Amino acid sequence: MFSGNYRLAWQRLRASKWHSMLTMFGIVVGIVSVVTSVSLVEGVKSQVINQSSQIGSSLITVRPGNFIQRDSAGNIVDVDTAQAYGIGSGSLSEQDILTIKESQLVDKVSPISILAGSLKLGQDSFNNSYVLGTSTDLPVVLKQKIAFGTYFDDDQEGAPTVVIGKRVAEQLFRDNVPIGESLNIRGQEFVVRGVFDEFGSSVLGQGVDLNRAVFIPRNKLKSLAGEAASLSHILVIPKAGQQKRAVKDINKSLVRAHGGNEDVTVLRQDENLAVASGMLSVLNQLVVTMAVISLLVGGIGIMNIMLVSVSERTHEIGIRKAIGATNRQIRNQFMAEAVTLSLVGGVIGIVLSFLTSFIIRVSTNLHPVIAWPVVAAAVLVAVVVGVVFGTVPAVKAARKDPIEALRIST
Amino acid sequence: MSLISLKDVSKIYGFGDATTVALDEVTLDVEAGEFVAVMGPSGSGKSTLMNIIGMLDRPTHGEYALGKRSVAKLRATQRAKARRDRIGFVFQSFNLLPKLSVIDNVALPLAYKGISPVKRMKRAAAVLERVGLSDRQYFMPRALSGGQIQRAAIARALVNDPQIIIADEPTGNLDSSSSLVVMELLSELHRTGNTILMVTHNPELTRYADRVVYMHDGAVVHDQRTPLGEVPALAKRAIYMFPRRTEEDDLAGVSAVIKTMPDKSMDPKPRKRKKAVRKRKKA
Repeated sequence: MFSGNYRLAWQRLRASKWHSMLTMFGIVVGIVSVVTSVSLVEGVKSQVINQSSQIGSSLITVRPGNFIQRDSAGNIVDVDTAQAYGIGSGSLSEQDILTIKESQLVDKVSPISILAGSLKLGQDSFNNSYVLGTSTDLPVVLKQKIAFGTYFDDDQEGAPTVVIGKRVAEQLFRDNVPIGESLNIRGQEFVVRGVFDEFGSSVLGQGVDLNRAVFIPRNKLKSLAGEAASLSHILVIPKAGQQKRAVKDINKSLVRAHGGNEDVTVLRQDENLAVASGMLSVLNQLVVTMAVISLLVGGIGIMNIMLVSVSERTHEIGIRKAIGATNRQIRNQFMAEAVTLSLVGGVIGIVLSFLTSFIIRVSTNLHPVIAWPVVAAAVLVAVVVGVVFGTVPAVKAARKDPIEALRIST
Repeated sequence: MSLISLKDVSKIYGFGDATTVALDEVTLDVEAGEFVAVMGPSGSGKSTLMNIIGMLDRPTHGEYALGKRSVAKLRATQRAKARRDRIGFVFQSFNLLPKLSVIDNVALPLAYKGISPVKRMKRAAAVLERVGLSDRQYFMPRALSGGQIQRAAIARALVNDPQIIIADEPTGNLDSSSSLVVMELLSELHRTGNTILMVTHNPELTRYADRVVYMHDGAVVHDQRTPLGEVPALAKRAIYMFPRRTEEDDLAGVSAVIKTMPDKSMDPKPRKRKKAVRKRKKA
């Protein structure tokens, strides 16, 4: 009987495809948005984890503004996502670089200033790029290899020389050799000195894709942009095995240097993950809220259609009751129909989610990861929506008086 | 002990001024194996009586026992199971489910009983053979003639081996040759021991019955035994003997009242009355 109900429901669904598709639309949208958003977050998380292992876990990042709360044991208990997302509030200074360098626990220091901007090569331009002013230690600090050419060294601090990200090289120079060519940044010509290997994306967080960036000496950036070239990161490699102590020490000395203000954030590489997921969770909550609303609307759509179906089929209900269907059997029949509708909607939603994440994967540098537990949860949610919103129509059907129902002509 | 025993069974619809007495203290006993024809004008309570005996409806007052069990104490689910296992319905308008094939329709009561698909298909096929529809098993109902559909409906009524078959004007929508086939089928079921209750307007059909019950205004006015194959003289006259009352008559009465009391006329517009007639007919 049970399987018979579902077979019947499937037949009805197939018999009116358009009707069913429109009914299921809300569920499909809801499932797609949930699965896609969760898979995006999962993808970003796994990217961050990859980067951590790629760069090495010893890296320490110092950022302007205090956007985390630590408990007494040094664990992050709260992240202010709005501040974490913004680039700097100007509270890091040249003096701070020296303060950090003075620490006994620090091995290498590489400050970074970021400017957004576009690059020009003859008639071609490359938009949405980032200009990073940094020091000669950067490749060592990030453990990043140079694919072609060399990185700039100490005696080129003020020279118009640039090392470019892989994407920049591909798009601006195509098949030509970029080394020795001249690139226009903010109206000044820079000579290309080297090309970086591919970065694991957004090493610095905040969605800065280093493959789209160009790297120039920090002094040169200051002369390009003046006050706008404030420090956004100071990357620090501590002496071996001293990471935890180094974090504390840097924090302490910076607070002392700033006259007791806690206006900087010192993060270990693994803590970047916590900050990143903290930021994503806000986005996630938003999308989940939208998804819940759309599932609600979808569920009400199903309920509406089922109510129409019940009143259309009153005569059928009468016949079924006359030949011995119990109320429970009638209820199950209509319940099966509602669940089939929402379940099929859920499955379509999951298929579309795979398609969506594939499109995201090929068209952006994000790598959504669809986890099987999420798929299972989506199926479960679809079934629950069917049960919840199928109950009222099904109970209505089951409670129909057989004589009244038989009297209504089809 | 009779198979069906009704004692002072009444059925009242509505409240207050709008009360309608559909059954008025009917007392009736039917023995196992009887073929009872129920006659009477429309509105005389025949269908209500059938619905109560068939457990689709419950009496307002009185006792109804099927076999040894009083029906009053049964709950909705138990009554549904009794309908499934002990009663087979045959309707004037056939009432097969149009979207199921003939054999699926016939097997439906077995499905509600929880019998496995293979077993219920076998059983349904056997019953369809008995009513002479073996070659129409997988047809959809719309592809069958009226007589064939009614035979399929009888097969559905028979599939659970019921104690009672309730037929509410089974030939009402059929031509005379199809009627003959259907009546011969019911008659054969009677010979093999089934108890049959049949509502009919057609006096000719009482020749298949061995007992005829006449109803009027919700009461049993006459109850006679009759030899098989004979149409009792009363049945022929039954329609003329008792004043026929229909919805139209009722409305004629209402309009007469309105005419005599012009002050209190509510809305004598003819358009409205026509609408009312249509509504009633639908019901």
